[in-house]
Amino acid sequence: MNTHGNPIDNDTEAVVIIGSGAGGGTVAYELTRRGIPCVVLEAGPYLQRADYENDEWAAFNQMAWLDKRTTSGSWRVAQNFANLPAWIVKAVGGSTTHWSGATPRFHDYEFRTRTYYGDIDGANLLDWPISLADLAAYYDAAEKAIGSTHRHGRPPLPANNNYKVFANGAERVGYKYYATGPYGTNAEPYDGRPASIQDGFNFQGDKSGAKWSTAIREIPRALESGKCDLRTECQAVQITHDASGRADGVVYLDAEGSLHRQAARVVCLAGNSIETPRLLLMSASGLHPDGLANSSGQVGRNYMRHTTASVYARFDQPVRMYRGETMAGIIADEARLDTARGFAGGYYMETLSLGVPFLAAFVEPGSWGRDFTELMDAYANTAGMWIVGEDMPQESNRVTLNTGVLDQWGLPVPDVHFDDHPNDVAMREHGYQRADLLYEAVGAIGTHHTPPYPSTHNLGTARMSARAEDGVVGAYGEAHDVAGLFVSDGSVMTTGAAANPTLTIVALAIRQAEHIADRLGRGEL
Amino acid sequence: MSAASALRPDLKPVLVQLLRAAYPHPTFPDGPYERTADKVLTELDADLWHRVVLERGLATLDREALADPHAAAAEEYLRGIAQAEFFRFVRGVAVTTLYDDHEVWDLLGYEGASFDQGGYLHRGFDDLDWLPDPRVAEYDGEPLQLVADHDELPTG
Ligand SMILES: Cc1cc2nc3c(=O)[nH]c(=O)nc-3n(C[C@H](O)[C@H](O)[C@H](O)COP(=O)(O)OP(=O)(O)OC[C@H]3O[C@@H](n4cnc5c(N)ncnc54)[C@H](O)[C@@H]3O)c2cc1C
Repeated sequence: MNTHGNPIDNDTEAVVIIGSGAGGGTVAYELTRRGIPCVVLEAGPYLQRADYENDEWAAFNQMAWLDKRTTSGSWRVAQNFANLPAWIVKAVGGSTTHWSGATPRFHDYEFRTRTYYGDIDGANLLDWPISLADLAAYYDAAEKAIGSTHRHGRPPLPANNNYKVFANGAERVGYKYYATGPYGTNAEPYDGRPASIQDGFNFQGDKSGAKWSTAIREIPRALESGKCDLRTECQAVQITHDASGRADGVVYLDAEGSLHRQAARVVCLAGNSIETPRLLLMSASGLHPDGLANSSGQVGRNYMRHTTASVYARFDQPVRMYRGETMAGIIADEARLDTARGFAGGYYMETLSLGVPFLAAFVEPGSWGRDFTELMDAYANTAGMWIVGEDMPQESNRVTLNTGVLDQWGLPVPDVHFDDHPNDVAMREHGYQRADLLYEAVGAIGTHHTPPYPSTHNLGTARMSARAEDGVVGAYGEAHDVAGLFVSDGSVMTTGAAANPTLTIVALAIRQAEHIADRLGRGEL
Repeated sequence: MSAASALRPDLKPVLVQLLRAAYPHPTFPDGPYERTADKVLTELDADLWHRVVLERGLATLDREALADPHAAAAEEYLRGIAQAEFFRFVRGVAVTTLYDDHEVWDLLGYEGASFDQGGYLHRGFDDLDWLPDPRVAEYDGEPLQLVADHDELPTG
């Protein structure tokens, strides 16, 4: 077994954290700095800065979660990437190793979508049990942890080539709320991390360390505290409970495939929104025949992935979008509620650059022939943006166990079923039109509408609710049905909002850790 | 040269011809297509099913139709066999191989790894000069109206 930090005995009832990404890494740091011993189980290896590669496919093969998964539903991803529903990381740091760094906050109305949007046909909308005001202080803390530019005195990043096209286009179509952030990569040295060298490889782990991730900040600090036992290449396969129904342990596989059991006083589950419900479903017991913490039947349901799309625009002059930060450009003008546009919810536009290898694979998956090669021939003169907006939670969009297909360990793989809601389709179409106008305003000679990539944002499969009938966890992420079991990742999101999720995941995790520490301190957990 | 292409050296020229027509780039020399063909043939070592369909597919390809990879007729012919298993297999390998070829990166103007050269901080990350320098700070006027008047909740 690969262990790091201070060993904790398997029989010691520790806080056991499953996953070391945005949610799990943050909880580990926030608890260990308060002196609370934690065991962190991470399915992937401990990659360090020197291991990261400035090469898209090499980096992808090094860190992506490539264990078998299946897809169903009418989404385009199921057709082109049948075994890759999501693009997430299996390594210490989780998907914060890949993430680019856009950190907008949710808006107040986005915590109350059932109230604001009403009863939208086919959407399983629900108000969150918490409000923006409940999170405000934790958003501050999360922005300081991440070092978000434009916040708390952190300066903005400079304009790179892709941003120059994007921001000039924004200005010309009358948008106002554009900037190079907030963005989780340093413009100047901060918190022991250097300033960006604009190398263009922050999806690939960022070798310089200018970008925040839990692999560079929270996990090393948790290990330094002397209170953390990090076990890498250790995959949790079951969460157990005692006769009274309290969570009391985690069964996991080590790299050799041997099973172990770690005793637990508290379990924090943060495997990202596909593995988290999978693990709950695999943990069914006599007390929980439909999966652990699933009396509501909502475990795995309401899977959200954001309404996304990309637009790549060609110009008659060079852009070289790949030079510099991948996503340091955000337009917020469309991130608002205005149903006169024909849909509920809002979306952001964000700069996005892919290298030649990824652009070829993703610009129009499955495409070939001259239409395709013309897009590639224009590479150096191409600018790109991503559209990311709120999608509707639907009960039928769902992660289930596919017992007909087993993974390398013999466990049922997760199936990810997804259909777009008509609201999602209307929003995406609006985004495409606005992006075209923006690029045409700065002289684009053509634009290409790229369909969604495998999901980088995965949300909602263990959602927060005030009432146990409506969701899986309560306002602090503790399971309604299982004392001592917390969900600490994006699965808890009741609805997804327009914003990229990580800042909110980190804010929720900081708040949850404070709550757990308080209750442990009072002997109430 | 891989075991598979050694086994069937006759497959490679026709495979290169197919790749050229499927991914026609006026500026590309043969090298990238040849290396991509080698990769396709290597993959066959572990894949009997695709090996038999590819051998059969290539043997029966209309090489006349593909003689000029840039002709409309070549693409039209390929559209007719677009769903054939062997061609789908070739495309699946090709799209991740041809565009991962460093000579192709050069031809398309992509510079690849940059960290060991200090990134682009002093090498042109902001050298676009045909547009004015835009604002990078957030807008400092009125804040965005988050909810349109007609979507506001009734008060009281
Ligand atoms: C290319 C890319 C770009 C992105 N850009 C942005 C952005 O700009 N802004 C933004 O807000 N978000 C962005 N994201 C999304 C962001 O990375 C995720 O929202 C965030 O990391 C999710 O946090 P998490 O804790 O839920 O899961 P993760 O960070 O994915 O962590 C989950 C961890 O759990 C581990 N794990 C899973 N199952 C088990 C198990 N059974 N046992 C042990 N370990 C397990 C995994 O290996 C992984 O390390 C991006 C993502 C990608 C892929």
